[in-house]
Amino acid sequence: MLRRLSTVRSLRRAFGRPLALMAGHWGLVAVGALLVPVHAAATLWMPHLLGTVLDEIAHGGSKATLASTCWFLMLLAAIESAARYVSRKTLIDVSRHVEERLKNSLVAHLQTLPVAWFDKARTGDVQSRLTQDVELVRFVMGPLLLHGGSTLCLLPAGLWLMLGMDVPVTLASLGGFGVLFAVMRVLVPRLHRWSKRSQEEIAAVSQRAQEDFAGIRVVQQFTLQARERAAMARHGRRYLFANLRLSRLRAAMHAVTHSTSGLVLLGVLVVGGYQMIDGRITVGQLFQFTGYLGLMTFPLEILGWTLATMPRAFAAGIRIEELFEVAPEPALGTTPVLRGDLRVQDLTFTYPGSERPALRSVSFHLQPGQKLGLVGPVGSGKSTLLALLLRFYDPPRGTIFVDGHDVLDVQPATLRRLFALAAQEPFLFSDTVGRNVAFAADDAASDALATAVTAAAIDQDLPALRDGLETVVGERGVTLSGGQKQRVSLARALLADRSGLLLDDTLSAVDTITEQRILQGLRRARGDRTVLVASHRLSVVADADLLLVLDGGEVRERGDHATLLAQGGTYAAAWRRQTEAAALEGGTGGAS
Amino acid sequence: MSDPYADDVPEGRFQFGFVRQLWPFVRPYRRGFAACLAILAVSFVLELLGPKLLQLAIDGPMRAQGEQRTERLWSLAWFGLGFLGTTLGGALLGYVYGVLTAWNGQRVIRDVRRALFDHLLGTSLGFHERNPAGKLTTRVTSDVENLNELIATGVLQSVFDLLKIVGVLVVLFFLDVPLALFTVATTPIVVLISVVFRRNAQRAYRAVRSRLALQNAYGTELVGGIRTTRAYGREHAVAARYAERNHETAVAWRATVLHFSVFFALVDFALRATTIGLLWFGGSAVLDGTLQPGQFVQFWLYYGLLSAPVKELGEKYNVLQAAFASCERVFQILAEPHFPAPRRDGQPAVRSPRRGRARVEFDRVQFAYGDGKPVLHDVSFTAEAGQTIAIVGPTGAGKTTLLTLVARLREVGGGAVRIDGVDVRDLELGDLRARIAFVAQDLFLFTGTVLDNVRLFDPGIDEARVWRALETVGAAGFVRALPLGLQAPVEERGGTFSQGERQLLAFARALVVEPDLLVLDEATASIDSASEARLQHALEATLRGRTALVVAHRLSTVRAADRILVLDGGRIVEAGSHAELVARGGAYARMLAHAAG
Repeated sequence: MLRRLSTVRSLRRAFGRPLALMAGHWGLVAVGALLVPVHAAATLWMPHLLGTVLDEIAHGGSKATLASTCWFLMLLAAIESAARYVSRKTLIDVSRHVEERLKNSLVAHLQTLPVAWFDKARTGDVQSRLTQDVELVRFVMGPLLLHGGSTLCLLPAGLWLMLGMDVPVTLASLGGFGVLFAVMRVLVPRLHRWSKRSQEEIAAVSQRAQEDFAGIRVVQQFTLQARERAAMARHGRRYLFANLRLSRLRAAMHAVTHSTSGLVLLGVLVVGGYQMIDGRITVGQLFQFTGYLGLMTFPLEILGWTLATMPRAFAAGIRIEELFEVAPEPALGTTPVLRGDLRVQDLTFTYPGSERPALRSVSFHLQPGQKLGLVGPVGSGKSTLLALLLRFYDPPRGTIFVDGHDVLDVQPATLRRLFALAAQEPFLFSDTVGRNVAFAADDAASDALATAVTAAAIDQDLPALRDGLETVVGERGVTLSGGQKQRVSLARALLADRSGLLLDDTLSAVDTITEQRILQGLRRARGDRTVLVASHRLSVVADADLLLVLDGGEVRERGDHATLLAQGGTYAAAWRRQTEAAALEGGTGGAS
Repeated sequence: MSDPYADDVPEGRFQFGFVRQLWPFVRPYRRGFAACLAILAVSFVLELLGPKLLQLAIDGPMRAQGEQRTERLWSLAWFGLGFLGTTLGGALLGYVYGVLTAWNGQRVIRDVRRALFDHLLGTSLGFHERNPAGKLTTRVTSDVENLNELIATGVLQSVFDLLKIVGVLVVLFFLDVPLALFTVATTPIVVLISVVFRRNAQRAYRAVRSRLALQNAYGTELVGGIRTTRAYGREHAVAARYAERNHETAVAWRATVLHFSVFFALVDFALRATTIGLLWFGGSAVLDGTLQPGQFVQFWLYYGLLSAPVKELGEKYNVLQAAFASCERVFQILAEPHFPAPRRDGQPAVRSPRRGRARVEFDRVQFAYGDGKPVLHDVSFTAEAGQTIAIVGPTGAGKTTLLTLVARLREVGGGAVRIDGVDVRDLELGDLRARIAFVAQDLFLFTGTVLDNVRLFDPGIDEARVWRALETVGAAGFVRALPLGLQAPVEERGGTFSQGERQLLAFARALVVEPDLLVLDEATASIDSASEARLQHALEATLRGRTALVVAHRLSTVRAADRILVLDGGRIVEAGSHAELVARGGAYARMLAHAAG
């Protein structure tokens, strides 16, 4: 009893939400579901009519009866097709509606989850819940309803009709189907297994090929062709093996289905023939019987299909629900008007789950309109500091203040409205360049857009892009270079028109000449914005009001450019090296 | 660059060229394919035999009233046995056919894939730069997979389905001409409905696929881009944009549902209607006494054999179209010339074993990319054995291009590059490349271990040699600190290593092959002084005693070089040692002045 209760509860957990999403379509579902038995009735009626009329023909019936039977059969066929059409269209359409709504609500929910959750979640996993799992659930809401319902009508009714005609023949043919069913239950899981294996192998082939083509220069330079060929041959062998197993199983399944239907027919023939010899049934009835049998095959297949899919769909429903059960980021807090006075006091921060602090005792004060430069190698804590300012993670209380408010007390959305972020590995959506720039401001005027595009020096790439700002990037579009992406991200930040600008090594992949152009533009466009720049390239941060040289999460050097040069430490040495490099790239014109 | 997916058009046409191009791949397995054909023919005969037996049984023992009951039962049993034989025989043949077609087809596919992959490894850098890796990967995977439809089942099965239809129709004509004529008149209607609707459904599916791809891409992006979204507070906008795409997909889905429901309903109805028509005409004939009931039943049963191949044909037609398109794309790549092209004069390539040192000479070298814009003009210089040549100049001056010409990764447009006095075009390519090690600005890491990536999977280089190389460049320390040392797996694209560490590994990779000549694109300086010092040390160790061409970004590297080339606009504007160039007071001296700040 208790167990049944928990089954009901988990069933509700898995399918409750999609069922609720059917709301508003119940009328359609009812129409579709009601027509399923209509279709079944029309289908089941036909063999009977056919059998009767065949007997009549054999025994010299009238043409008028034949004609009326033919017309009636035509009518039944029309009803059958129409009912099938309507029920399929309505039920499957509704399932697609449910799918659409389920995906939308899942995405909307994902958008509210804390950033820290995304650090742990694997994109592939989230993606598979959003696609494959939703599809499995949809399967239950649509095709299963349609075909399952049809099976529920056809199977018992057909069985009853057959039993009513002749018990031994029915039992003989059922035995055949029973065998088929048992064999399928053995073969289908294997088929799934090998098909998965085959997919994994082709994925390995794909990954290898992708890697070799991406690294073709190294492959050719170090003459790795022979080795890559051998490796590919190995993958190919494994893939071949899996596919051969798979096709053997498929062939076996095909052979089994084929011979079963043959054997069932044989049963009908022999047992039915025996009955006929004794005059218990007629040829027409024999036909009628085989007609019923023909109708049974599909529902039986569906039954096997359903039994195989239900547990998977159930697991999928649970996995989707698990995502919905993750708590959203708290959105509480005050909503003060912020100007952007930043004070960081003795900030030490350790990522959840990590042991080593990412930042140690960092302190600084930045007034509105000032520029802060963060310098340091990868992993020195620059990006962490910026992430904390945006409150992607919670800093310890009393360490970060904006206009005197502890960031923990300010509503995250309010805090974030203060800043525009351009990340080092900028995120572009597969959309047009223009829409990516206007990501944070859809309603931006076109001249504002043009200004941002020019300031970020994207205008110099536009002629090379087929449709200018309307060029689609990413999936199904062109691939932008790292530098181009960074500049799009910069333009996005500029267009967002926030009082604070966070640039996380945004110009690392931009060439020096373009960098100079951008920096000049930025100085003009910046206005009175507060700017925080993390960079490996010192030319980008040299004009900052305050520079922090970070290493291992600690501030090693602090001051403005002149002070740090005078100190002759890490910063000064790095500055010298970078000036040299720029000079060696300067050519005859001497750009830097 | 053009749209990498622009050629994603799944409708192709049959070309006679395919037969000629595919034949070499099919030829080794021709006996297997012949066997498949034979099996198909035998199983067709068995399939025809089934209804005949059934009819004989019905007209014979079941209805013949005159004979004894036991005799009739025996006779029935014999028919049963015969039917059992044809059924089991058919199933067995079907199994063998399925296994055998897969055996043949999958092997052909494997061979095509192998040939395509090998070919792609040998095509020019220019070709790879024009064609993104993702697109080429699709050729090797899904396009080749589509070919399977063509080779394994498609053509054979379709031809056979056609023969089957003809065969059944012939039998039907023997049985009864008017009824057969009725069948001939109605069958094309069913085929037509089937083909038209399959085709429309396929188009609708294609629309779904492309929209779904976009939607799923967006789904992945909104997870990856969560920080950007969150930073700008655009959660609702992103969810709305996703919903928009989701809706587009849903609309496309519903179009397929429409096609499918109409298709199933119409085809079912058409099949039923023709069957009822047959019943009317046949039944009337029986009632008129022009047709025997047994014959009618037999006709009925044979008629039933038609529906499967008719349905199949409609389906195959569309699948084959996609296969033809893939076929065309695959052979397009195979037609791409191999790089470098074989020598025209037929002379054997000059062998050039490793000898510890090399002399490199650029003689009036010209180079232009595919677009025809010249990149290098009349570049001439010589690196004597053991010398280091530093190349400096602005971005786009042709420095990196120049480096790729030495190992013949690209072909000169004019003039010649010579190693030890022999034109690189005359040298055996494997020998040439084995003598040269290339260090790029960023280390390309393959999936595998650190060991694999340093010795580039060459088992001929033992671990001791790898450690020596790591030791020399000063990378042994951090490798030893890795949990699994040399056996530590390299994460996707080497995300676990810092920039400096990757550089050291790149040096180690170059050193471990003990090259005669180093070609080096120096990475830009980093912030971290400690790692800078390590890098400088590694560079010195690597260059010691070797001929080297270095695109330099560090003054220390330039100063240590034997000769400096200042490249601008594809020309050498200055050449000489550091001291000479400083004394000249030209471009290089100006650079130094800038460098001094």
